[in-house]
Amino acid sequence: MRRFFSLILIIGFGFYLVTVIGRIPFAATGEAKGSVGVQIVNDTVNDTGAANAVTSVVVLYRGFDTLGEVTVLFLAALGMSLLLKGTEEVKARVFDESFILKTGSYLLFPFIVLFGLYIIVHGHLTPGGGFPGGVVIATAFFIIVMTSEMVRLRENLVSILESLAGLTFIALGIAGLLGTKNSFLANFMGKGVFNTILSAGIIPFIYAAIGIKVGSELTGAVGSMFLSPFGKQEEAGE
Amino acid sequence: MSNLITIENIVYLASFGLILIGLFIVFSDKNLVKLVIGLDIAETGVNILLVSTGYIQGKTAPIFSRTGLKASQMVDPVPQALVLTAIVIGFGVTALALALVVRLYQKTGTLDVSEIRGLKW
Amino acid sequence: MVNPILLIIIPLATAFFIPLLAIVWKNGSRYLALLAALANVLIGIKLLPYVLEKPIHVTIAGFKAPIGIDLLAGPLGIVFSLIISITGFLVLIYSIGYIRDESINKYYTLFLLLLTGSTGMVLTNDIFNLFVFFEILCISSYILVAYNRDEHGLEAAIKYLVLGSVGSLLFLIAIAIIYLKLGTLNMADISDKFDALGGSYRMMVVVLILSGLGVEAAIFPLNSWLPDAHSSAPSSISALLSGFVIEVALIVVMKLVYSVFHAMQVLNALAVVGVITLLVGEFAAFRQENIKRVLAYSSIGQVGLILLALSINSKAGISAAVLQIINHTASKSILFLVSGYFILKTGSYRYSDYSGIAKRMPVSSLLFVLAALSLIGVPPFLGFFSKLQIVMAAAARGSTFYVSLVSLVLLGTIVEGAYFLRIAQVLYFGRQQDTDSGWLETGNAAGIDMESVGNAPVSAVIPVLLLGIVVVFGFLFLTNLNGVTGSIAGEITRALSLASLF
Repeated sequence: MRRFFSLILIIGFGFYLVTVIGRIPFAATGEAKGSVGVQIVNDTVNDTGAANAVTSVVVLYRGFDTLGEVTVLFLAALGMSLLLKGTEEVKARVFDESFILKTGSYLLFPFIVLFGLYIIVHGHLTPGGGFPGGVVIATAFFIIVMTSEMVRLRENLVSILESLAGLTFIALGIAGLLGTKNSFLANFMGKGVFNTILSAGIIPFIYAAIGIKVGSELTGAVGSMFLSPFGKQEEAGE
Repeated sequence: MSNLITIENIVYLASFGLILIGLFIVFSDKNLVKLVIGLDIAETGVNILLVSTGYIQGKTAPIFSRTGLKASQMVDPVPQALVLTAIVIGFGVTALALALVVRLYQKTGTLDVSEIRGLKW
Repeated sequence: MVNPILLIIIPLATAFFIPLLAIVWKNGSRYLALLAALANVLIGIKLLPYVLEKPIHVTIAGFKAPIGIDLLAGPLGIVFSLIISITGFLVLIYSIGYIRDESINKYYTLFLLLLTGSTGMVLTNDIFNLFVFFEILCISSYILVAYNRDEHGLEAAIKYLVLGSVGSLLFLIAIAIIYLKLGTLNMADISDKFDALGGSYRMMVVVLILSGLGVEAAIFPLNSWLPDAHSSAPSSISALLSGFVIEVALIVVMKLVYSVFHAMQVLNALAVVGVITLLVGEFAAFRQENIKRVLAYSSIGQVGLILLALSINSKAGISAAVLQIINHTASKSILFLVSGYFILKTGSYRYSDYSGIAKRMPVSSLLFVLAALSLIGVPPFLGFFSKLQIVMAAAARGSTFYVSLVSLVLLGTIVEGAYFLRIAQVLYFGRQQDTDSGWLETGNAAGIDMESVGNAPVSAVIPVLLLGIVVVFGFLFLTNLNGVTGSIAGEITRALSLASLF
């Protein structure tokens, strides 16, 4: 019965979606001429000095959203560690893997971290940036945690890194507020030479902070899922 | 017939299909894990819809690293930034939902919505 | 002049700082959170006279309005951030004595992020930014509902999370349509371009946003999560969730309907939905035995009343609605905070177990009754004036439609009076126990030793007393309050436009 009613509901909603949105053509028709996106693409190189327009939108034009976004991740990691702390069954799931798997993951670890860092620092030049880079770094820790129970990562250290990165983001924003532009997150540094690593003012610094924050948040989230390798009795920060 | 297979129709088919499949799972399924999966599927559909709003036919990624590219040859970067935010938020909600489900399973020993007293909606 | 963005940044930065502070000072987060909320209260008070003259428009990252994100701190934004930070501050004082487990640092971090999310929602002038703050608000409340990690809390949190996520999906679809058709996300810019949009698109955007935010605002068919969530959260959090979270969602969605989408055609339907919400909430509250469920259903009823008042489509109606929000925030916070200590001291959720508790906890019980009277609308409390204004605003429209809705409101008020007075009777005069139906495992029916019930600690009484002053003596400042609510009504009914920002 429940299935039947939900099917009716879904078909109705789908019909509504198709009849209303389904007729909208994409911006190919020139409807987007006045859109903010077109203005941003035209002005971004002059305004921000970043080669990657998506990055300049993420970090500067809509940087406030991004601050909210890392806050959401922070919340999710916090909620997971609150909810999963002290769960007994989860610990039983972690077992020792074979020697080959362990050694392999240790060998891979530095390269994965290096790759993540590369993605983060080139965020304003190529596709990538703090979010994908942070996820790659967290993957490195994830592999280690999956394969070996010998590792003792300190939850404390992860949360310190996370806090510092978040505060750096806000501090850079407040520096813009105190600077000449008198606006939160305003780019107060010089634009530098276009298309080099140290260009585009505060963008690479903010993206580095985001990368560290995302990396440590996801590592912390992974840590809550596999509580035992993360220092069993370490009541971090409590 | 061939004029039906346009990029718009493909995108709309994919996004509406995923949204509706996901919502159908959410409304009809009784297993909590499947419910979270349903939410995730619907979210993916919305993300496809959102990112496609920036598409302009025949244009390329908005990155100026390669010399010789002009702004007029590029798609709208704003929806790509929006969808990045939406994906990250969706990830956070999914992770949290799974943590809640794990914890609830430990307390009640069941994932069936109809067997958990407070969850009859 | 202070930059209004600090209202968002201060609690956010404090929340990020708490894990660092926790290393050197284990319980320092209590006092740091208090400081952050106090700073927000002071900034709000300082900004209030400015924004009553002219709204403050703040750009972020130095980009002009439609391109970057901007905040618009008008009377609505500043008054609501004051409501949020004052309630937050008082509940933080209450939490000093009430929250005593080992994860208090996480509690305070989540608390501050809840304040950040709701303040951001009322201040922002960008629809996607609104979505982001909405998500911060939602996610922190999901976690806080499950804070006790007991079965009820977890169930309620999952239910809340699933419904809330479906709501935010609908919201996101609406944003996609807006960007696809209008190419902008700035609310003022949307308002300028919205009327040129085709009728079916406009209707769809309004419906999707109403149902998306309506989940959080507890509008009738979408509120099944609320009684569970509000009754199983820690009482301090219930006070916040009932006190301002649903009201913030409601006022923001109505602001969008009026000043951004100009969708006056949905108002009559919303008024009917409001009355249905009211009646459903009040009648359901009447049948509850668990005190927190009574209060949660009563919140649904109040939301219905506020929604009705907001849908009257006149300045008087909106102004009355804001006054009712202020009254509801103060009264419902008192009720939840006091019932938190009733539950803690007696170990029971059933209010019939509190017979004669007024002798043991005289101040708390007195304030409980006063707040309940104000919610019912007994003169001379604040609630009387707000309900009176709502009735007068509806009557001023003159149509039989509104008059019949208002008569249903009066019916709801009678029911509301019945269950609140029943509780008051139990508190003061006691009642015969019916021992058979054990409501909760904690409810030890008649076996509570009233002699052992002591007074609530000072940290719990002070915030309740301060809120009580608002409820009891609020009518003395009625003209000032009406001035403020009137300018909020003016802001909501005026269509936003990009030109007026500069």
